[in-house]
Amino acid sequence: MKQFNRRALLALGAVMIGTGMAAAQDAWPTEPLRVYVGFPAGSSPDVLARLITEPLSRKLGQPVVVENKPGAGGVIGVQQMLAGKTDYAFGTTINGPLTTSPRLVENVGYDVGKDIAPVALIATSPLVLAMAAEAAPTDIASFIEAARAETGAIAYGSVGQGSGAHLTAELFADAAGIEMLHIPFTSYAEVTTSIIGGEIDAGFMAPSAALPQVQADKMKMLGITSSEPFAQVPDVPVIAGQAGIPDDFRAELWNAFIAPAGTDPAILERLNTEVNAILDDPEVQKKMLAMGWQAQGGTADDLARRIADDTSVWGNVIDRIEAQ
Amino acid sequence: MNTVEGILHGFSVALRPDVLVYCVLGVVMGTFIGVLPGIGAMAAISLLLPLTYYISPEAALVMLGGVYYGAQYGGAVASILLRLPGTPQSAITTLDGYPMARQGRAGVALFASMVSSFCGSMIGIVVLVVLAGWLSRMATRFGAADYAAMMVLGLVAASTIGSRRPAKALAMVVLGLILGSVGTDVNSGVQRLTFGQTQMMDGINLVALAMGLFGVAEIIGNIRNAEREGSPPHVSLRQLLPTRDDLRRMPGAVARGSALGSFFGALPGTGSTISSFLSYALERRIARRPERFGQGAIEGVAGPEAANNSAAISAFVPTLTLGIPGDPIMALMLGALVIHGVQPGPLMLEARPDMFWGLVVSFGIGNLILLVLNLPLIGIWVSMLRIPFRWLYPAIVVFVCLGVYSVRGSSFDIAAVAVIGAIGYLLAMARFNPALLLLGFVLGPLIETNLRRAMLIGRGDPMVFLQRPISAVFVVATVALIAASLWGAWRRFRSRTAA
Repeated sequence: MKQFNRRALLALGAVMIGTGMAAAQDAWPTEPLRVYVGFPAGSSPDVLARLITEPLSRKLGQPVVVENKPGAGGVIGVQQMLAGKTDYAFGTTINGPLTTSPRLVENVGYDVGKDIAPVALIATSPLVLAMAAEAAPTDIASFIEAARAETGAIAYGSVGQGSGAHLTAELFADAAGIEMLHIPFTSYAEVTTSIIGGEIDAGFMAPSAALPQVQADKMKMLGITSSEPFAQVPDVPVIAGQAGIPDDFRAELWNAFIAPAGTDPAILERLNTEVNAILDDPEVQKKMLAMGWQAQGGTADDLARRIADDTSVWGNVIDRIEAQ
Repeated sequence: MNTVEGILHGFSVALRPDVLVYCVLGVVMGTFIGVLPGIGAMAAISLLLPLTYYISPEAALVMLGGVYYGAQYGGAVASILLRLPGTPQSAITTLDGYPMARQGRAGVALFASMVSSFCGSMIGIVVLVVLAGWLSRMATRFGAADYAAMMVLGLVAASTIGSRRPAKALAMVVLGLILGSVGTDVNSGVQRLTFGQTQMMDGINLVALAMGLFGVAEIIGNIRNAEREGSPPHVSLRQLLPTRDDLRRMPGAVARGSALGSFFGALPGTGSTISSFLSYALERRIARRPERFGQGAIEGVAGPEAANNSAAISAFVPTLTLGIPGDPIMALMLGALVIHGVQPGPLMLEARPDMFWGLVVSFGIGNLILLVLNLPLIGIWVSMLRIPFRWLYPAIVVFVCLGVYSVRGSSFDIAAVAVIGAIGYLLAMARFNPALLLLGFVLGPLIETNLRRAMLIGRGDPMVFLQRPISAVFVVATVALIAASLWGAWRRFRSRTAA
């Protein structure tokens, strides 16, 4: 009897949530959605966002406007999304503002745990370890050996202090037990030029940044940071498990769809469903892959877990850098 | 494919009706956004980017390229007529272009700027075709030490332009350097002079600074000078024609400006603002009577305008030959190519010769269109001065705000323009030269990041600046320039005390 009651209650609850959801879905959206992107028009986070927002607008029957609010490594985009708390302000962001920026940026102005409602992971991108074509190391093992020859023997470029490229390199250095010299740049274009010019030795970078130079025999890729080979550069070996690097070594940049905390749960649910449906489209997947991104998807909880995991992984790396 | 075949093939692409239409569209749009203060090629290209999904990649690139170099033509118009630079690159043109306009020679100044722009572009195209390979190899050979040494030379060479008082000039350069250091320190991630504002983490917006210092400050200044109202300089058609003396002075300035522009444009990260400043500095240094500068010297218009146009063309060298964009606008154009599945990179010239040669030939066609379009427009631009200031200025302020906002969609930047404008007005009242502040602001961060990067790469050994041949040449030249200035000052001092 008791059990029956509980079941009835659960069922009733489910029905109520269901009707509530349906009601919210019927009513929503009645006005255009805004999706804040913390990078300028034409940048890769912007193009990723537009690959989602265009079909999303068709599915929801309302315009979905991309608002480019670049600055502070994407933090300003998140801040602007939070500034107007309605059921129509959303955002897509790279991992930085949700994982490392609260550590690295003074007065970030939001608490990821309290202020952000994860919706869905959009895509991930690994980084490749690239060197000039004529450099001596041929694989991860010989790279580590070269780096061990003398402290700071390898100078590597990144796209800035605390950037994904910088933290990935330090995570790798820690796993390999080596120390490298960090030279911060501001773009992969600069890092590539410097590697080709022989000024610095190496760099972790987006596969698409390295690929054209590799095809022209100016650079080579020694390894990739994902846990499985990446479709854009299938021949590049996975770093994990090589030359004493742990099997679970993984460093990926990602891009996610988020909402302000407090957004109606039914709306979050609806958005998660739609974003997943869009990411299932092979055409969208192909376009993302051409830019060096692997379409993902999944539940809001998957994204929440990813945020928590990466915050702790990168937090440890930042601790180590700050301790130096 | 050799060069001749390439060019012929390029004509077959560039003369395709669709490509031609988008070329015209691009350069016309470029001219107008260049004229409007604050709204630059960056904003226009971001807006046009979604449109390019629907046209062929050749037409897309030709159109976006047209906007890019077309804006360099338009930029000078408001600089000359109103002392409001349309783009940061043409800020330097105000120094002599505006005095020319005040002397009733606005038409001549505009003519000089258009013709110089055209010649600069044409020289840039020849350089692109003949020297592309060499320039791209040079660009990869330029290391951090070389950039740092080169920019120091530029700063020293240009730091006294347009000012009679060295101390005041130096003060402006230093203030520019300080403002340039605002934002996140690249090496340590520390926030400098941001006062806890996330909006300032990426530094002060260049467009906001240029528009505030020149545009808004000038407008405030003119509100006080109410007597100017209703007395615009009268310009007749005959006054459009340069004098024989003007024609004699221009070719040298154009040639030197184009050479500087072609060189700096090809180096990733330097760009056309620097080349126009350096061209002005060069003209002033080698002039027999440097005191003419700032009073309406035509070389001060012709040189920088040739320089920024040739730089806009040669900026395509690293972009097309290496797949490495030299500035954010180039990065945007590469983005447009990626959308079309064209992979920019060192192999593009071989893989897509139609793209490369079509674009190069379209540069020639586009610049011809710009010249033909702009020369008759001079009369119309000049008649803009007949619009009463009370109508013109509010409109300009609106455009400035639109333009500044369009850079990164930030209302903070609009507030920044207001503050910078007020400061700029005070500086102008005290007869400080804002061009020098802009110079320090542009060069400062380049010098700092490259200097520190060079030191990091050299493991802290300052000798890297003398060991690298390119940087050693610049260091020696800088020392020689300072020595020459000191020697000149000492001689003047001696002759004055002797007399």
